[in-house]
Amino acid sequence: MLSAILQALLNGLMTGALIAIPAIGFSAIFAVLRYPSFAIAGYITIGAFAGWTLNVSFGLSMEVALVGAALVAALAAVATEQTIISRLRPSGALTAAIGSIAMNLVLENIVRFFYGNDLRGYDVPLVPDVRFWGLRVGMQQIETLIISIIVMAGVFLFLTRTRFGRAMRAVADNADLARLKGIDPRKVSFVAVALGGALAGLGGVLLGADTSIDPLTGFRILLTVFAAAVLGGLGSIPGAVVGALSIGIAEELSLLVLPATYRGAVGFVAILVILTFRPRGLLGERAL
Amino acid sequence: MTIKNTSISRRGVAKGAAVLAVATALGGGVAFAQDGPIKLGALVPLTGAGGPYGPIMAKTMQAVVDEVNEAGGVKGRKLELIVEDTQTNPEAAVRAARKLIEVDGVISISGTWASSVTTAVAPLAWQSGTFLTTTSGADSITQLPHEGYLIRTQPNTTLQGRKFGEFAIEEGAKSVYMVSPQTPFVDSQFENITKAVEAAGGTTELLVYDDKKPSYRSEVDTVMRADPDAIILGGYTPDTTVMLKDLYRAGYDGLKIGFGYSVNEKLLESVPADVVEGAMTISPSPNADSKAYARVGELSGMANPDPYTAQVYDQINLIILSLAASDAEPSGTMLKDTVRTVSQGDGETVDNAIDGIKLLSEGQAVNYDGASGPVDFDEKGDITDSRFRYDQVQDGKIVLLKIF
Amino acid sequence: MANYLTFIATIGGIYALLALSLNLAWGTVGLVNLGLVGFFAVGAYASAIVTAIGVPVVGGIVVAMLAGVVAGVIVTFATLRLRDDYLAIVTLGFAEVVRIVALNERWLTNGADGISGIVTPLRQTLGGRGFDLFYLGLVTLIVVIVWFALRRLDLSPYGRALKSVREDQELAAFAGKDVMRLKFEAFALSAAIAGLAGALYAHFQSYVSPDHFQPLITIYVFLAVTAGGVGRPIGAVFGAYAVVAFMEATRFLADLPFLEPVQVAAMREILIGLSLALILLLKPTGLLPEKTPKATVQP
Repeated sequence: MLSAILQALLNGLMTGALIAIPAIGFSAIFAVLRYPSFAIAGYITIGAFAGWTLNVSFGLSMEVALVGAALVAALAAVATEQTIISRLRPSGALTAAIGSIAMNLVLENIVRFFYGNDLRGYDVPLVPDVRFWGLRVGMQQIETLIISIIVMAGVFLFLTRTRFGRAMRAVADNADLARLKGIDPRKVSFVAVALGGALAGLGGVLLGADTSIDPLTGFRILLTVFAAAVLGGLGSIPGAVVGALSIGIAEELSLLVLPATYRGAVGFVAILVILTFRPRGLLGERAL
Repeated sequence: MTIKNTSISRRGVAKGAAVLAVATALGGGVAFAQDGPIKLGALVPLTGAGGPYGPIMAKTMQAVVDEVNEAGGVKGRKLELIVEDTQTNPEAAVRAARKLIEVDGVISISGTWASSVTTAVAPLAWQSGTFLTTTSGADSITQLPHEGYLIRTQPNTTLQGRKFGEFAIEEGAKSVYMVSPQTPFVDSQFENITKAVEAAGGTTELLVYDDKKPSYRSEVDTVMRADPDAIILGGYTPDTTVMLKDLYRAGYDGLKIGFGYSVNEKLLESVPADVVEGAMTISPSPNADSKAYARVGELSGMANPDPYTAQVYDQINLIILSLAASDAEPSGTMLKDTVRTVSQGDGETVDNAIDGIKLLSEGQAVNYDGASGPVDFDEKGDITDSRFRYDQVQDGKIVLLKIF
Repeated sequence: MANYLTFIATIGGIYALLALSLNLAWGTVGLVNLGLVGFFAVGAYASAIVTAIGVPVVGGIVVAMLAGVVAGVIVTFATLRLRDDYLAIVTLGFAEVVRIVALNERWLTNGADGISGIVTPLRQTLGGRGFDLFYLGLVTLIVVIVWFALRRLDLSPYGRALKSVREDQELAAFAGKDVMRLKFEAFALSAAIAGLAGALYAHFQSYVSPDHFQPLITIYVFLAVTAGGVGRPIGAVFGAYAVVAFMEATRFLADLPFLEPVQVAAMREILIGLSLALILLLKPTGLLPEKTPKATVQP
């Protein structure tokens, strides 16, 4: 039983690391623009397909696929934001959120239009897991974990060490004050959306390399990403990481006591419980 | 609504005029009312969970209809296939079916895939006298009060469950673990697997999982703790892909048996070869000498078409043959009354509509044996034949082991 | 064709009820319910289950509305105190949980098979065509009644209190309104209307299953309310009929020979998404804008 619990913890850590990347992307957009972006699912899917095209159609390495996917997804996010959503934000966060639902439907179906519904897999070697102390862990999972950690570290450095990053945090913490300090909110919004899209795209590739992709890839994990972000505290970037790991671990542990089909409900119950006792999430709502 | 009406009637008039022109040119003296194309409906999942299957099903049916039209149609009349999307959602499917039946006036609807969609659409079919052919597997489907207006080409789950169980035993498995998402047939299938396995002194276990998750590591851990000799995969292609990868990572090296519609060519293309190497599949099957299966491959562009594609190929061929076999005015009622005269019996065996139409016009009887099996139906609309094909993935290719 | 139009008008009426439900929560009091389809499902299942054990259809409808209220309580008890975006996400999760429960609790919902053979009132007596017409009349009548009641509510002091919550919660609280209570009541009433729509759907189609209740339906209803004009009941009703007509009309695009059927299906959904976005962008007040002068909105 102990090894089963340890194994579930380990699995949860791996799943959590996978969810953390798009969850950070979602939180980055929320922190600056103050609306929950449902289009994040579309960015994940577009990133996953862009990475697949580079990796499989053009036979390029996964590193190139990751970078390319981040760029394409960032571009999609910026385009979506600039054409539609930025103009909806003055009418309120909820209008922007609904606009993002509409745009998610559009993005998902653009992918479907060009790629169809077929499943596609990345060209990556799959190796059996490494075993130790009665536990097992996959090389690919470890790679994903390392990539996640690098990406997270990069995001933290960006937010704390660069001018843009600091400006983003300033806007997230207090938009009016930031404006008084001469920070151009439009530029910051632009960067936040590009960052959010890029992270979603990266998440899409990592997810796709681990499983396989189709136009519903992003939508399938949307709820889990939301749950992670809400659990950690909407708009908090460390919160997104903590939330993602908690959701990952809670879902895997739940399998020891619950029927596996109820796994999808775990995130929802976790949100309800957390919101009842800690209404601002585990880490509160400060961006960093 | 107005725009829609005009566009339809205009198109209808144009087509009617074209057909009339052709008929006049050929010197045909048939009455005008009978000269429009015979309208057949295809109702398949183009989006939603069934999305991986529907598009190729529609394409294959369209290819059959085009071929028959090129060969001169049925009794001088052309066929028109109208494709609608179920969205894998019964609510949207009912709207689509109403449009097919009440606006287009189709006499048949083919290819409904999800059991929930078929259950929702079936009452419309029998109430309006439209002939419904389906690939849905739930036992409850043919128990609906459909008055003969429904046939399905997918074997019912009792039969499939038994085959899975017997096959696992035959391959030397003593403990069998079934993993499946929540489907309408998971319980009855597991029950029948258990019967077959326990009869031979083996044991079975079942794990039902959530089909929307990106990873099944912990589910696989649960299965691996039971150390089964054989794992039966009850899911569809997307979730089975993830499951197979996680089984591979966990180092599972026992027997893997899946449905032919799930462990299919698309799945093979999307995973590294080792993941699925050695996996066995079971699907309903025709005689080994049938050319129909190869023909579906050509039409659909897949070397190993999955069973759903093979089934809709058979459905549309049966409908066309029934149209050729009866002298009555084409209608759903005529199809339901005629279909069994071409699907079974002592007639000449044919495996495609064009050959069949030729024989029928010469006054001979035909018995269609198709790509998914001999497709003979009992009075409830279930297929009666129990032959299955057993394939195995060898060197990244699906290789036929045996048919019986 | 006439049969088809009757059917589409009935479905339009059911969407109109969903739109009225959403308009009450979103348009009137400012609560976004992204799990609308979950409440629709709860109502449909509740009525299907109780009428199967002998409760008459009218009783089933009442139970469906009560079930909607109970579901509304579960969803809101932890979230109403929070900012509204939390409620949006929680309701989305709620719809998924309803689907999971419907799928797995076979003893109650018959699992993935769904419940078929649900009572269709007077169908035996009226025959298929008569039933379709009768049901169209029934649904239309209920839409008119609910619309009328909500319009009255909108114009009443209570309705103005609700709208003051939407415009500025703090100000409303300062003015002595019990904001929590107003939000809670509006959400519960809204959930009851969605439950009513569910029951009407179940007894019309005679079959419900977990597959019926997909998130896309919620998107359609959002499109309806947005197109019609957020905050005005007649706008919601009008928008719902327009959306159903639009969805059906896009089917007739299907004759583009150079596109695969799956591409046509994708185009339809792109059109639906784009129209929602464009209406929000170009005509955010909808085709039938709210008449009451708005208080100044804080950006």
